[in-house]
Amino acid sequence: MRPLFGPGRLLPGFRLSLGCAVLYLSLIVLLPLSGLVFKASQLSLAAFWDIASGERALASYRVTFGASLLAASINAVFGLIVAWVLVRYSFPGKRVIDALVDLPFALPTAVAGITLATLYAGNGWIGRYLEPLGLKIAFAPPGIVVALTFIGLPFVVRTLQPVIEDIEPEVEEAAASLGASRLQTFVRVLWPALLPALLTGFTLAFSRSIGEYGSVIFIAGNMPLISEITPLLIISKLEQYDVVGATALAVVMLLISFVMLFVVNGLQWWAATRHGTGAADGAPR
Amino acid sequence: MSVPPARRRATAEPAWLRHLLLAVGLGFLFFFLLLPLLAVFAEAFAAGGRAYLEALQDHDARSAITLTLLVAVLVLPLNICFGVAAAWAIAKFEFRGKSLLITLIDLPFAVSPVVVGLVFLLIFGAQGLFGPWLAANDIKVVFALPAIVLVTMFITLPFVARELIPLMQAQGREEEEAAVSLGASGWQMFRRVTLPNIRWGLLYGVILANARAMGEFGAVSVVSGHIRGETNTLPLHVEILYNEYNAVGAFASASVLALLALVTLVAKTVVEWRLRREVRMLSTALPSEHN
Amino acid sequence: MSIEIRAIGKRFGAFVALQDVSLHIPTGELVALLGPSGCGKTTLLRIIAGMETADSGQVFFAGEEATHVHARDRNVGFVFQHYALFRHMSVFENVAFGLRVRPRQLRPAEAEIRRRVSDLLQLVQLEWLADRYPSQLSGGQRQRIALARALAVEPRVLLLDEPFGALDTKVRKELRRWLRRLHDEMHITSVFVTHDQEEALEVADRVVVMNQGRVEQIGSPDEVYTNPASPFVYEFLGNVNVFHSRMHGAWADVGREHNGAVPAAEATAYVRPHDIDIEHRPVFGSLQATVQEVHAIGPLVRVELAHASELIEVELTRERADVLLLAEGQQVWLKPRQLRVFAAPPTTLEEGGSGI
Repeated sequence: MRPLFGPGRLLPGFRLSLGCAVLYLSLIVLLPLSGLVFKASQLSLAAFWDIASGERALASYRVTFGASLLAASINAVFGLIVAWVLVRYSFPGKRVIDALVDLPFALPTAVAGITLATLYAGNGWIGRYLEPLGLKIAFAPPGIVVALTFIGLPFVVRTLQPVIEDIEPEVEEAAASLGASRLQTFVRVLWPALLPALLTGFTLAFSRSIGEYGSVIFIAGNMPLISEITPLLIISKLEQYDVVGATALAVVMLLISFVMLFVVNGLQWWAATRHGTGAADGAPR
Repeated sequence: MSVPPARRRATAEPAWLRHLLLAVGLGFLFFFLLLPLLAVFAEAFAAGGRAYLEALQDHDARSAITLTLLVAVLVLPLNICFGVAAAWAIAKFEFRGKSLLITLIDLPFAVSPVVVGLVFLLIFGAQGLFGPWLAANDIKVVFALPAIVLVTMFITLPFVARELIPLMQAQGREEEEAAVSLGASGWQMFRRVTLPNIRWGLLYGVILANARAMGEFGAVSVVSGHIRGETNTLPLHVEILYNEYNAVGAFASASVLALLALVTLVAKTVVEWRLRREVRMLSTALPSEHN
Repeated sequence: MSIEIRAIGKRFGAFVALQDVSLHIPTGELVALLGPSGCGKTTLLRIIAGMETADSGQVFFAGEEATHVHARDRNVGFVFQHYALFRHMSVFENVAFGLRVRPRQLRPAEAEIRRRVSDLLQLVQLEWLADRYPSQLSGGQRQRIALARALAVEPRVLLLDEPFGALDTKVRKELRRWLRRLHDEMHITSVFVTHDQEEALEVADRVVVMNQGRVEQIGSPDEVYTNPASPFVYEFLGNVNVFHSRMHGAWADVGREHNGAVPAAEATAYVRPHDIDIEHRPVFGSLQATVQEVHAIGPLVRVELAHASELIEVELTRERADVLLLAEGQQVWLKPRQLRVFAAPPTTLEEGGSGI
């Protein structure tokens, strides 16, 4: 009814608050990031390309993206089940378990890293049962997937939970009364409602996994070309005082971040326009 | 969202499927959440309670704890100011570029911590933009407290703002307008009306930001220089001990951080509960029907 | 205190909210701003309150220019559509707010604040709710607390935005009468916004009918109802039958006799359903029609008739209907007791106007 344009209305503090916010954001985030881009721009395009597509770099992309994709997929499947179970079923200890889902957000990544490494090592609580079966998890590429699954776990669950809560039982009852089986109801009625949130959660988990460092380095084994993730490659270039190489790789990572941000925004917009209420409103970050 | 069981029957999964889903879901959580959490404490106490306490009384461990707390104390007030200011502008006013601003506030979530650390290294490091000037004036930024604070500011920037923006948008402008029309000054309006309305959302954001500030590893690890007893935060201390094969020491420090995480989860759950109540009050305070 | 609005204009981007609106509200009057949603009435109210700034024009309070005076200093009591009670303050603190935020030298002593607040709560008959919180109150109670809060600062003008909009019908009617009585006791210049014509006609001393950012008519409730200045006012205030002169020549003739110079080819006649008589035989200036349906609605009988494929609505008293004994399919003749003819084109509001 009252579209508003431009400042200068009743409430005070518009210029002050916007000014402070933009200043802080610029000083802490935007200027430093543009410093990175500036540094990289001193490189010739060919030199940049050489570094960004070096053998070790390419291998690190493969490891990072492959493990992230796999971990996000695992989280999509199990996260859907967990969210469904937490919303729809009642069982003892449900509230505690519900609260515990956020543990990966709260637990420092280094702690997660050393703990998972210890658990999945050959003599660890889990590793000792897997090693005899020929499954080497810790200090090998599968370890990366385990760490990233832990890190990304809350994203899918927390994005889906409010959406499942919002599904009115009447919708399912209507489907059932029209003769749909439980499977048909799920496939035709529930799945379309859940899909945007599931994709959003998947993308959030994936995007977080790509940049993850702390939890992975302890469990990955960090062998170049095999289990070396891109953030670690940046660090090792820095340790060899190859600032230029580190910068080039960082720019690649930054570009990917922007793309992911764009994709997540698009997905949330899609979810919001398709299902009225913002399906991703409660999305944790 | 409790639906009476009688109503559910027509649309419930068969019992075998329900049990299967429960088993799979809870099993997944058991292996990926509960077991790691238990393992932290089990490893920390593996050599007995005395070894655990000794590990925590170690000089380096204590200075790491102090530094971690100091960083949080320095970063959080700034973060709160930014979050409140940004949310006030975004939630209560219309202006061009608003959605861009919201997206940019999200940016720190998307950038890899390692890249964040590198960025500040490039600016303030020895070969960085301000490096020579800083060296000439004998100001230490990188491999010292300032850089640790800066990267933590970057990493935690979105938390408070992200919590407050939707809350303040839902609360609307009317209460503040009423306060002003009743003669309140800007500060009176903020302190008596806005702040009490957002206190739980603010606390929620602070809890999340605090957990991240104390637990950040990647970005801090790049700029801290790992100087024992000086620039080691607790997560970095954990790494060093672990790499020295001092498992008890590493897990003792880790257990402190895990306890912090558990406290965070409890506080978060309590605040969430208050927040939900507030939002429910909001929906009853605003009559839905009006033509 | 009187309010004077001079040539106010306001745009939101490309949308024209108000266009050259002028209005004089004498001291002590209770005025309704009436119009459909989007007509600019709330914007006008907010401009009077100082919550919105006009692009052009002036506002005077008691003859003094107040156009650029900040809302804080206008001494205006504003009651919000959704009450905007401070949800974390008790009812008492809500009402006391305006007194507590005064600069120290103007702030009454605590005892005085308590006395004034409890007086006001008494006035709105809700003293027993002083310690409750807004979420524990019903809609009608919140409305009255919002009013008490606005009155606490002893405003020179009381402004109410859709004061009864969010309430159910029964509470709305009670509160309406209560507000009227309160106004008669306090005699504070008051302006309220509403889209409900019944509300405006019942409560206000004067009604300002607005449409698309302009004032259509200003007058007493009786004036605007019985003597609408434009087709829009006719259609907005109550049901109306619209007749086009091309099709209903006979009636337009009647209209011309009443109104004079409107050329028959471009005229439309407006007749209220209760201003039409039904006769069993043709009389001068009457229109033949077929009875379609007869509904008894409370004290009235509503008859739908067809004339040349157009629907005409007539309202009769029960007594008259009993005499006429109408049956479906019956041929009758209609004669207007009162009608108005306007030059076409008529407004684009849907036929029949807004229902009661």
